[in-house]
Amino acid sequence: MNEYEEIRNCLVEMKDLSALMVDLAFSSVMYNSEDIAEEVYLLEEKMDDLTLKVKKLTLRLAKKEEDPESLLSIIDLADINERISDAAYGIADIILRDIEPHPIIRKIMEDTEEELGRVRVHGGSVLVGKTLAQLKLPSKIGTRILAIKRGSRYIYNPGRADTIEKDDVLIAVSSDLDKLRELAGEEIEKEE
Amino acid sequence: MEEWDEVKVPKNVKDIFIEMKNTAELMVDLAYSAALFKEKEIAEEVLELEEYLDILNYHLMIRAVLAARNMKEAEQITSILQMARSIDEISNAAADLAKMVLEEKLHPLITEVILESEETIGRVIVSPESILVGKTLEELDLSTNAGVWVIAIRRGKRWIFDPDEDTKIMPGDILIGRGTKTALDYLKEVARGIIKVIRHE
Repeated sequence: MNEYEEIRNCLVEMKDLSALMVDLAFSSVMYNSEDIAEEVYLLEEKMDDLTLKVKKLTLRLAKKEEDPESLLSIIDLADINERISDAAYGIADIILRDIEPHPIIRKIMEDTEEELGRVRVHGGSVLVGKTLAQLKLPSKIGTRILAIKRGSRYIYNPGRADTIEKDDVLIAVSSDLDKLRELAGEEIEKEE
Repeated sequence: MEEWDEVKVPKNVKDIFIEMKNTAELMVDLAYSAALFKEKEIAEEVLELEEYLDILNYHLMIRAVLAARNMKEAEQITSILQMARSIDEISNAAADLAKMVLEEKLHPLITEVILESEETIGRVIVSPESILVGKTLEELDLSTNAGVWVIAIRRGKRWIFDPDEDTKIMPGDILIGRGTKTALDYLKEVARGIIKVIRHE
């Protein structure tokens, strides 16, 4: 892969991630989910790495370009995405810090009774190997999958053809997330 | 949207907040549309929305500051201010992208990036035979039924930005939509009149 292609791939990933981060950040606040807020924090670190990578690659590419200044907008686009992800982190941080958020922030979403969280898919789970079309999670257990984390990669807004694999982490919204946890083979801690 | 003095700002903090969030998200979508299609008019709209968002932010801050009656409330209110500042930062980033479009400084690689990303932007031309014609966006509910968010409509020489639910689709409209490539391709077929039903899940 040459520098040009590598830069393009990094920027595509950055654009996808920054959009996902904004979604997740607002969701973490709306559902008061520390879990998701932490996910945003981890993604923010990834974005920093990607930004640095794009900048370095662009400088290398500049050596070969007749008009190196034409590459400036590429660095600008990386910066724009990094700033959006920083802002997403700034939103999620409200949930992570010690001070309790203002009640109005909850009130913004008081109509929703949904829960948002991360669910890990275990080896023996019935979900493994099935597509979202087969599972029909929205109609069967009232659960929407916002993203699938597979290793360090994210599939966000997964489509009907996407298949669930062992060790996937599902980021999901549901009226009862325990149902998904059960299907995923997770031990459910009963609260007293 | 010429005179901001006449702009109605929602009354309570909650509604201002929601308006700020929606505006910032719309700005990002429009900024990428402007970059993809090299449409300066869209870029200019982004800059106007940026001014609007500043006004919303100002009103939000005034209300937030007024609401604090003691130390604990003041501490809690910092969370509102932090969130407003973050939304404002998103809008600034979108505005900077719009400025790059106006200055014609975009490298061709940026077009490739927008087209290859998970959620991309597409132009959907509505033919007279399409079932979309004559229906409102509310009736069509394209985000649910097609996975596409309509962020702007080009009608003749005029732009309708952030069309509301009552907006009726007319033959010849060009819809600017955000969605995955699959979703946009599907809507294009519907708009061409090839697909005669719109799916309901």
